[in-house]
Amino acid sequence: MNAYIVGGYRSAIGKAPRGAFRFTRPDDIAAVVIKHLLNDFPQIEKTRIDEVVVGNAFPEAESGFNMGRMLSLMSMGNVEVPGSTVNRYCASGIESIAIASAKISAGIADIIVAGGAESMSMISMGGWRQVPNPEIAMNNPRWYLSMGLTSEMVAREYKISREELDIFGAKSVDKALAAIEAGKFKDEIVPITVKENYFDDGKVKSREYIMDTDEGPRKGTTVESLSRLRPAFAADGTSTAGNSSQMSDGAGFVLVVSEKILKEYNLTPIARLVDYQVAGVEPYKMGVGPMAAIPKVLKHAGMKLNDMDLIELNEAFATQSLAVIKELGINTDILNVNGGAIALGHPLGATGAKLTVQILNELKKRNKKYGMVTMCIGTGQGAAGIYELL
Amino acid sequence: MTRRINKVAVLGSGVMGSGIACHFANIGLEVLLVDIVPRELNDMEKKKGLTLNDKSVRNRIVNDALTAALKSKPSPIYKQSFASRITTGNFDDDLPKIKDFDWVIEVVVERLDIKQAVFENVEKFRKKGSLITTNTSGISIEAMTEGRSEDFQKHFCGTHFFNPPRYLQLFEIIPSTKTAPEVINFLGEYAGKFLGKTTVHAKDTPAFIANRVGTFSIMELFNNVKELGLTIPEIDKLTGPVIGRAKSATFRTADVVGLDTLVHVADNIRETTKDESKDVFKIPDYLQKMLDNKWLGSKTQQGFFKKVVEDGKKKFLTLDFNTMEYVETPRPNFPVFEKTKGIDDLRERMRILMADKGKAGDFYRASFYSLFQFVSNRIPEISDELYKVDDGLNAGFGWKLGPFQTWDAIGVESTVKAMESAGKKAANWVYDMLKAGATSFYKVENGKKMFYNVPTKSYLEIPGQDEILSLEVLRETNIIWKNTDTTIVDLGDGVLNIEFHTKMNTIGAGVLEGLNKAIDLAEADYKALVISNDGEHFSAGANVGMIFMLAVEQEWEELNFAVQMFQKTTMRLRYSSIPVIAAPHGMALGGGCEVCLHSDKVIAHAETYMGLVEFGVGLIPGGGGTKEFALRLSDELKDGDIRTNAFTNRFLTIGQAKVSTSAYEAFDLGFLRHGVDEVIVSRAHQLAYAKKVALNMAEKGYSKPAPRNDIKILGREALGLVYVGADGMALGNYMSEHDKLIAEKLGTVIAGGDISQNLTEVSEQYLLDIERKTFVELCMQKKTLERMQSLITKGQILRN
Repeated sequence: MNAYIVGGYRSAIGKAPRGAFRFTRPDDIAAVVIKHLLNDFPQIEKTRIDEVVVGNAFPEAESGFNMGRMLSLMSMGNVEVPGSTVNRYCASGIESIAIASAKISAGIADIIVAGGAESMSMISMGGWRQVPNPEIAMNNPRWYLSMGLTSEMVAREYKISREELDIFGAKSVDKALAAIEAGKFKDEIVPITVKENYFDDGKVKSREYIMDTDEGPRKGTTVESLSRLRPAFAADGTSTAGNSSQMSDGAGFVLVVSEKILKEYNLTPIARLVDYQVAGVEPYKMGVGPMAAIPKVLKHAGMKLNDMDLIELNEAFATQSLAVIKELGINTDILNVNGGAIALGHPLGATGAKLTVQILNELKKRNKKYGMVTMCIGTGQGAAGIYELL
Repeated sequence: MTRRINKVAVLGSGVMGSGIACHFANIGLEVLLVDIVPRELNDMEKKKGLTLNDKSVRNRIVNDALTAALKSKPSPIYKQSFASRITTGNFDDDLPKIKDFDWVIEVVVERLDIKQAVFENVEKFRKKGSLITTNTSGISIEAMTEGRSEDFQKHFCGTHFFNPPRYLQLFEIIPSTKTAPEVINFLGEYAGKFLGKTTVHAKDTPAFIANRVGTFSIMELFNNVKELGLTIPEIDKLTGPVIGRAKSATFRTADVVGLDTLVHVADNIRETTKDESKDVFKIPDYLQKMLDNKWLGSKTQQGFFKKVVEDGKKKFLTLDFNTMEYVETPRPNFPVFEKTKGIDDLRERMRILMADKGKAGDFYRASFYSLFQFVSNRIPEISDELYKVDDGLNAGFGWKLGPFQTWDAIGVESTVKAMESAGKKAANWVYDMLKAGATSFYKVENGKKMFYNVPTKSYLEIPGQDEILSLEVLRETNIIWKNTDTTIVDLGDGVLNIEFHTKMNTIGAGVLEGLNKAIDLAEADYKALVISNDGEHFSAGANVGMIFMLAVEQEWEELNFAVQMFQKTTMRLRYSSIPVIAAPHGMALGGGCEVCLHSDKVIAHAETYMGLVEFGVGLIPGGGGTKEFALRLSDELKDGDIRTNAFTNRFLTIGQAKVSTSAYEAFDLGFLRHGVDEVIVSRAHQLAYAKKVALNMAEKGYSKPAPRNDIKILGREALGLVYVGADGMALGNYMSEHDKLIAEKLGTVIAGGDISQNLTEVSEQYLLDIERKTFVELCMQKKTLERMQSLITKGQILRN
């Protein structure tokens, strides 16, 4: 039994913590995207939807209360559709799509809304109350190593220079700006009306505006301008705010259906998740995760790296991106063709879904077949999913 | 009716204006700061499509100036958030607002016509009876009020803040002939008590008091430097801390102030005075050349000094006056310094230096004899009372001894004779004074400081002493007990004060003995105890030398005993049957901070720099400081709070050895307690106020507090954070492996040890025991010893 993606959208990605979505909750962003997605399928009765699965890296505070369930209540207009929240940190957004595909393939579900949502403006990296296990902290403190430092570990181990990182960062921005300029994301972004009440000059004021363009890429970014930034994570480090992924707010969702539903409603399939694998690596250099996940998924799918037409490698850090590229010999011509997380942002749990939406659209535009979405994951994992455009 | 100041408007936002506005915000007032509207848009404004009607454009000059001031270091404001007390505006739109302001301070450019135009405008809007002052360093006060109303003139006065207004103590008050006496008195009292300044009432004479004398002293050196045959570093060495002046001494200070500024003041004095010293204010050739070359000092990167980088090393070259080239000069030294080394009493040092037979002595005699001649001749021209001259130099130039105080120290009569043989002559009134049998300019009588009053030829009390308590005066008569490190004096009304007087007021066995003795005495026969001193700093911490010796000799038992003694003493500060008030100022670090942490109440001077900085010597606070942080963490937590975050804050404050840049910041860092501890702006009033508070506490009924055994600790809940955090900091090279070890141990003590159940309630003694055990363990570490050794031998913090 096959599972098919029949539609997908994302929000524009806001900068955290002071961007357009600074006061907009992740559940509110996500609900708008889901409703917009379902609007394309008026013929499907909402009560027939089996589930909403949302990926989220820090499911607490504004992302708490089982956000998946909240989203089903907020977007379905009924109480019958259930919802769940999954957490695989930065792969959460593709993990949810994998769960949806697997459930449908197993025949235990027919229609699932799957994706991810994250507000880094509202919930800080690591969550609000961090309580590491003291035994682990004493014996294996690096299982908890902060993401920035894992980046430095990768840079040290793979001997990647600051200059290489800044070149990579500047290139990401160039590609992203060109993509936005060319209107490449227009069709996939759901415009979201943002309402804010705020206090200014002694008065309460309100404003309303439409957020429909990614905020991340900074015009005028050059290798030289990036070279002036100070190390962000280590006194003598190489990773900076300019060659690491941005903190972001946003959401992305796809609709996954069974063959039965496809026929019943006469839907056109866009793509299918061919395979998805997650692999574990040393937590202190979690950035190398894709080095393990990519070969694993290719082997399992019986494919080769050369079979891929496009690859979205999440740019958590330029360090780990470059290490993965070098180690696996990835063809950079097909990699992150519209820029990556350094430029466009990385809304943790939403990223997997956002990249899925992006790669499917780009494959379609290029009339290509296979695309891979891959990322490293905190505490030492890597995920990789292969999509086939139908 | 009592005059109240609630709202202050500062006109002009230059360096002085912004600094003055910040200082009024420091003391809690509502401040309006205004400046002119810019004439044209800048590029950024054009890009944004703004016009000259937009408020952000109209207030750009004032906003930019205030922003720059707030960013400058040292900060003009006690705490950044205090800046919200300042509203900005511009002359065109916002001047009408002054209609309900109590005080308008003009700080625009030093040009009479512009100042007059501003005052004409001010008069249109000000409310009757409000104060108007001009902050000027030279323009005639009298001339400024021409054409103004009677009410304006009565309430108008000149003032002179010194830059930077927050830090420099001096506040000169220069009335015009029409200024109402009420206004003059009010300004004097207000500036003293509210703004924390030393006020000096000056006459409307060129450059007033402090700048007239201070500039004389500098210009005299500038004009004689070639003949003296001394190098720049030599003169700076001779005119620095050894004679009780700033480390930057003469030439370095000139570079920092800017030669153009100095010359401007000197020119003004020369052009407007006609006395015998006029020539001293001439600009010597080499100085003129420096001005022509724009070698103005720090702001042009070169003046008397020039910083160069050679082989990656920074070094300072100095100007050779003959060749006008920057050269390397050998480290200065004079044989007489061997004799003054180790002598802490400045007056004693002055006697040795003036009597020196070498080059240094020649220098001192030449320059001080000129200075004495000059200042004695300026009485009564610039001031009727001689103490104002000393006050001005003490507070405005940071001279620990002013001219007359120095003269007293080395002997008035003998100096007058020596001056004669050196071709200098004291003013006639000095001879008259000596003839009448008065041998010094100052004396202490009946617990009051007296000065020789020239017009009446008699000693008079220095005014304003009723409201203040001076340890210097009290020491003459009220000593109850003393040892080599401390002195206990009776402040009167049943309150004792104990002062430390060790080097940097560090705390060793002698201080601990003194503290215990003071508590013993107070419990037996008095009502309360104040801990304060009049040294440069309250206390730089525990005496590391003593700990180091015990550690090197591996006398662990004895070391444990010594730390226990420290803990017992700080605990006694809290657990005694009398109220104990700490009144710190300046640095209150390490052990000095722990003394404050354990007092019943702290009355801190606004300029108090508190911190638990033991990390720097490889230790954790061992005098109860770590325990106290665990206790305060417990007390500040409410149900449902994110405990781990509060824990991290406390942990990092010690772990990063944070030091407050003001007493207000010490609240944010958790060294001072809201609702308990207090801040006072006036250093002069601090001790009297602390005494009053101590008495009040005693009057209200004070009993020894019951011991605490309800301190909630986090235990294992916090340990994970400690170990992960320390590991990450070390991995990121923010700290060394040894720092990591100290951090782990520190965190474990604040967490209350490896206890499985969080929020277990423990006693203070339990925490003190683990604190002490950890302290001694760290002393066993070689790297901790190296750190202590570095501080002791080199005065440097080693990060090994």
